Amino acid sequence: MSDALPLPLQLIWLVPLYGFSGMLLSLPWATGWIKLNGPRPAAYLNLLVTLLAVLHGSLVIREIYALGPQHLDFPWFQAADLNLRIGFDLSLTNLAALELVTTMSLVCQVFALGYLDKEWSLARFYALVGFFEGAMAGVVLSSNLFMSYFLLEMLTLSTYLLVGFWYAQPLVVTAARDAFLTKRVGDVLLLMGVVTLSAWAGSMEFTDLYAWAGTARENQLISPLAGTLLGLGLIAGPMGKCAQFPMHLWLDEAMEGPNPASILRNSVVVTCGAIVLMKLMPVVALSPLATTVLLAVGTISALGGGLVAIAQVDLKRAFSYSTTSYLGLVFIAIALQKPGIALLLLFAHGLARALQFMSVGSIIATTNCQDLTELGGLGTRMPATAVAFLVGSAGLVGLLPLGGFWCYGLLVENLREVAPAIALIFLVTNSLAAANVTRVYRSVFLGPATPKTKRAPEVNWLMALPMVSLAVIVLLVPAIMQRIDPVPGIASFSLPVGLAVVASGLVGVLAGSLAPSDAFWSRSRRPTLRLLQDLLAYDFYTPEIYRRTIVRPVASLARLTRWFDITVVKGMVDGLGRLSLATAEGLRLTVSGQLQTYVLTVVLAVVVLLGSLQVLRGVS
Amino acid sequence: MLLTSLLLIPFLGTLALLLWPGNPTPSRLRQITIGILAVQLAFSLATALAFDPAQVGLQLREQHSWLPGIGLDYALGVDGLSLPLVLINGALTLVSAVITRDISQRPRLYFAMLLLISGAVNGAFLADNLLLFFLFYELELIPLWLLISVWGGVNRAYAATKFLIFTAASGMLILGAFLGLALLTGQVDFSLTPVLSDRLAMGGQLWLLGALLIGFGIKIPLVPLHNWLPDAHTQASTPVSVLLAGVLLKLGTYGLLRFGLQLFPEAWERLAPALAIWAAVSVLYGSLAAIAQTDMKRMVAYSSVGHMGYVLLAAAANTPVSLLGAVFQMVSHGLISALLFLLVGIVYRKTGTRDLEVLRGLLNPERGLPLTGSLMTVAVMASAGLPGMAGFISEFLVFRGSITAFPLATLLSMVGSGLTAVYFLLLVNRAFFGRLAITPPSGDAVADARLDVQLAPVAPRETIPALALAAGVVLIGVWPHSLGRISEVATTALATLTTGSGGLG
Amino acid sequence: MPIIPADLVHANLSIDQEEVKRRLLASETLLTDSADHLLEVVGILESYGEVLDAYSINLIYQAEHQFLNPIPIFKYLDGDLSLGKIWRHLNHDRINFEYAEYCQKAMFWHATGGMDAYLDSEAFAENCRRIIAAKRRRDPLLAVLAPLFPGFLPELIRSAATTHALGQFWRVMSDLFLDLAAAERDGRVRDIPGVVAFIKDGLVAAAANPIHYGVTIGGEHFWVLPPEAGLTFLVDVAVPYVEAVFLRGMPFLGTVSFNAQAQQISPDQARFTYGALYADPLPSMGAGIPPSLLMQDMYRHLPPKLHQWYLQRTRGEGDVRVKICMSFQKSMFCVTNAAINGTMPHPLNSSDPAAQAANGAHAQAWAERLGIARTDCLAA
Repeated sequence: MSDALPLPLQLIWLVPLYGFSGMLLSLPWATGWIKLNGPRPAAYLNLLVTLLAVLHGSLVIREIYALGPQHLDFPWFQAADLNLRIGFDLSLTNLAALELVTTMSLVCQVFALGYLDKEWSLARFYALVGFFEGAMAGVVLSSNLFMSYFLLEMLTLSTYLLVGFWYAQPLVVTAARDAFLTKRVGDVLLLMGVVTLSAWAGSMEFTDLYAWAGTARENQLISPLAGTLLGLGLIAGPMGKCAQFPMHLWLDEAMEGPNPASILRNSVVVTCGAIVLMKLMPVVALSPLATTVLLAVGTISALGGGLVAIAQVDLKRAFSYSTTSYLGLVFIAIALQKPGIALLLLFAHGLARALQFMSVGSIIATTNCQDLTELGGLGTRMPATAVAFLVGSAGLVGLLPLGGFWCYGLLVENLREVAPAIALIFLVTNSLAAANVTRVYRSVFLGPATPKTKRAPEVNWLMALPMVSLAVIVLLVPAIMQRIDPVPGIASFSLPVGLAVVASGLVGVLAGSLAPSDAFWSRSRRPTLRLLQDLLAYDFYTPEIYRRTIVRPVASLARLTRWFDITVVKGMVDGLGRLSLATAEGLRLTVSGQLQTYVLTVVLAVVVLLGSLQVLRGVS
Repeated sequence: MLLTSLLLIPFLGTLALLLWPGNPTPSRLRQITIGILAVQLAFSLATALAFDPAQVGLQLREQHSWLPGIGLDYALGVDGLSLPLVLINGALTLVSAVITRDISQRPRLYFAMLLLISGAVNGAFLADNLLLFFLFYELELIPLWLLISVWGGVNRAYAATKFLIFTAASGMLILGAFLGLALLTGQVDFSLTPVLSDRLAMGGQLWLLGALLIGFGIKIPLVPLHNWLPDAHTQASTPVSVLLAGVLLKLGTYGLLRFGLQLFPEAWERLAPALAIWAAVSVLYGSLAAIAQTDMKRMVAYSSVGHMGYVLLAAAANTPVSLLGAVFQMVSHGLISALLFLLVGIVYRKTGTRDLEVLRGLLNPERGLPLTGSLMTVAVMASAGLPGMAGFISEFLVFRGSITAFPLATLLSMVGSGLTAVYFLLLVNRAFFGRLAITPPSGDAVADARLDVQLAPVAPRETIPALALAAGVVLIGVWPHSLGRISEVATTALATLTTGSGGLG
Repeated sequence: MPIIPADLVHANLSIDQEEVKRRLLASETLLTDSADHLLEVVGILESYGEVLDAYSINLIYQAEHQFLNPIPIFKYLDGDLSLGKIWRHLNHDRINFEYAEYCQKAMFWHATGGMDAYLDSEAFAENCRRIIAAKRRRDPLLAVLAPLFPGFLPELIRSAATTHALGQFWRVMSDLFLDLAAAERDGRVRDIPGVVAFIKDGLVAAAANPIHYGVTIGGEHFWVLPPEAGLTFLVDVAVPYVEAVFLRGMPFLGTVSFNAQAQQISPDQARFTYGALYADPLPSMGAGIPPSLLMQDMYRHLPPKLHQWYLQRTRGEGDVRVKICMSFQKSMFCVTNAAINGTMPHPLNSSDPAAQAANGAHAQAWAERLGIARTDCLAA
């Protein structure tokens, strides 16, 4: 069947391989094998293969426009009743996501050339980004759960390696570990779901899984409990990937990594997680409870993330929590069976958030500082950065007619009848997000220059150019959204809804402009306010909760096991050993070279053996 | 003659080394050994080429009457269960000879013992006769005990004695079970006849199987019979640890599948639920104990305890997929644990310590061990079951094959897989991340920063075996078919020996 | 109890404030005098001189020929667009000019000294207005941005001024270091005190050199740093440079967390101790360590004698760039030593108590800063 397909489609398996090949191409420099010359060729090669991926993707999109969705798969591993395949679903949505991933990767790689211009380990960075990109490209195209899981775990690995990029930095040491383990918790739970589903449903293709879910529901193939556990297992993976409460902590920690990687993580990696969740949703829906949990998780993440973001003094973290908040909204939309709008939101969010993080990167590069209280007055001196920040923020918040606004409008319109409370949550989240960006804008760009921003020239062109280009794309997002989802159109909501969204955005902007801003390393004098401030600044003390509920029990259990191992098991063995001391001593003698004793023992054993066999034979 | 050559090459090699004229230098002896083992590996590969994966049952069989009086036949054969293990043996003994350095004390004996082990292990995997298997099983014990007790660490006498006592008990139990089977069924030709146990009452079967389980359980090792392993590993030199973890533990799991499951299918089915729980306990116990270790080698040793538990779980579930997973797990554990021990060995040789409380920042590109660190990251990720490497597909097959039969035990084992990531990340992040230092734990930060560490460089030839192993791990991870095609027929046949339990899947 | 092999760790050889002060006032060199040190310092300064030559040429080229260019793609090629040069550039077979920019950025960002004060003066603002007016006539992009972001172009011009000034500074230093190597070959410099004295003399000789900078836009010449501003080599450029690069520096992403909540970075730049005299050489060539670029550049210009000397030590070629960094730190102590001696208010042998007190205060101020630096490298 695939013979008839155009070449770009037949070669679709190359698309994830571009990224992976970028990793391999970087190795001569990353391993220090090329010592006399610098590492930049690795970066150029990665840019080249990523460009190929973008071009290949756009060729495929053109073909798919003409041909309609296609499915391609290749056998990977087959044994008994297990059939694991590499499958690609070439639908317009998947391909749009692919283009988002590859384009963002390209833009980020150019940005990184500027941001990491004095980084000697550049080749390793690009190798990891190539790996990252390859895995993401595979995830969005994947047509089966096994391949999605496979690649999601690879994303976990590359997140660990990217967060651990500056491995000698003390906080990175713990941050990389925590990022990996948090995601790993989600991955293991997801693996439980994947394995179970594979055993129950047989095939791992999403379409087959949907069919199985339908049958299972009709014929009550699985108990409600099993269904719930399955559903919870399946949503745990995306929860981890999308940094949802209570597995959101890694994204905060991941901010210790290089900024270009943060750009990718906050925009496209979380998008990949949400896309996998979307693909899993028909199976998750087997369990009403799992759906409810999804809704609850989304709600808590949306509001909690929004609140925590406002209390952050760290520039990067102020937005990483906001990412959690927005992905919470996506989770709500998915839980309420609005995948189309969820996709639009992901798309608008991914681009705008990336732009926001780019501007954050250029602020850090210029000022060597991430502390909001130490920044200020950059607005008149850094045009590209300021514009990127404003456009990125406007693209997220529902106020100006950019991506965020239309998504909020659609979601509120769709939910106000069925779930007015949820619609309200969207508006509140919008206010929180607006307040957050406004307060950050105030403290970074307005006001007098501070010692650390006294000398702040605009960043170099390798950072400025990608920022400006992406800003243009973000401005065009409504038009692209209209093309992706022409029916019923992005403006299909009523005027009051639109006004409500604008009003919620305005409230946020007002709150953000009027709230008093913090001074250097200071806290409020009012105890209640201080308590609230600390609660939010320290992320509801989630790290502490983790320590108490997971880390400490596991550590104690480990110590207990060790104690048991030493005291009971070893003690018993040593006791037995003392009983047979004579034997032990006899054997130990041979250590000093008396091999003969041992040979004698062996000969004796053989004699005994032969003798007993003869006896045995006599018996039978 | 192909299979016999797999025995003759190492055995004649042993003799040749012992009788080599003159006084050859250690490095000369090492070269000779490497040469012999390379030939052996070539013959193992030739066996793989001659092997027909589609054929059920033992192939390339060779049978000669040896001591008919006691039922000891020289009968060899290979199938999809043993072939991967023969290949692993060929590869890993070669690796351990290659990584052996600075053997100044009785080098002739050392290398002869390496060859002897290799031959004995080949014999055990290829034996088509219970007694022959037992002879080789015992034969491997002596040289290994010598390798630990002569070339081991400070506490080698204790560790070697413990190893010997445990393994001797293991041998006795296995021999007892074999003899018992012969005694009770009256069939004394000691051939591998699956239907033999049908003649026994369930009670008798359970007793015999129980003896085998404990016997092989010591070798694997399963909790609580594992106590000899961490001591043996910490006292053994790196090449011996590579052999021990990579090859010798597999004798236990192989025995479990070949003699436990194949000879006593009914009793096996009866015991399977308990075995699955035992497996889960082993997995969790090994993982938790590993978390609490500060000696890198001990940590890897406990991780072995955990990871061999998967094989028991797969064997208990006894489905085509799970048994294939068991073979995968044996092979990938062989490669991964060998790689881990090898890398820990490099760290130990360069820094003089394996203590996670004092090692820091070994990834340092100029003064540290960057390539070792990168490979260590690959190895721990493979061990933690990250896709793209051998550990993942093995664990996936095991879990997928076992989940419907024993959901709880399987889920618990998956938790163990998650815990693997915990302790191995502790290892990598503690020893390899941060600023390069060998710090006293209580020292203050400023003074620590001034401790100037100077480690000897790692020569490329030291990392080539590690690179080769890592390549094998990745190869199986991305192309599992390479291994699957060899074993699938055999494991499917094994799973269908018993009725029923396979059908649940 | 963990086992630490004794041969792996070395004792801490740091000296304290008192000792620094004593050495300065006793006109001893900070760096212990030894044949090895002489070889290291002279050799490394020679390669540094070669590298600074390239840095200096490029910074001056950038400031003069890439002035306010929004997309300076070829800024590292010094105007040579031959295919061979472009290929070498793409293959990264080149000097890492990024490090020169990094030093410029450090100097600009820390904003100390006389030149920085001039950048905030009304006279400088007037220069900027004229330059921007001329530029806006030719460049539509700048014409749009300049009124919208009034601080944008003046800040870039300030940055270019620092770039040019640093280029001029390094011109002098490069020549001085290469002369030092020649002097050592001739036998004019035979020991570490000789090295320090040579550098001191060089600095004193150049102290009053004027620093000025002008650009040509459309054939018309504009002053950015005019001669009448009266900026001079030592106080307006060299001292801020030492402050920004030797002492304060900027935190390395590879060793310090920028996380605001972790509060690892002081809010007061004056308290920064990330400079060359404080930096840890061990992580060189690791991730997030910008001076790695300089070490690489010096590695490619090592005098053969010094290279041989490195090959015989520790890991030979394997850790050569860490050894370069260690030697570099020693040589920077020598340069600092020369600068301290050169700025000593009175001759050290003066018997006047007031002069002695002034010298003591000068030495004390430096000792306070150097007492916590990496003085462990100074021992033989």
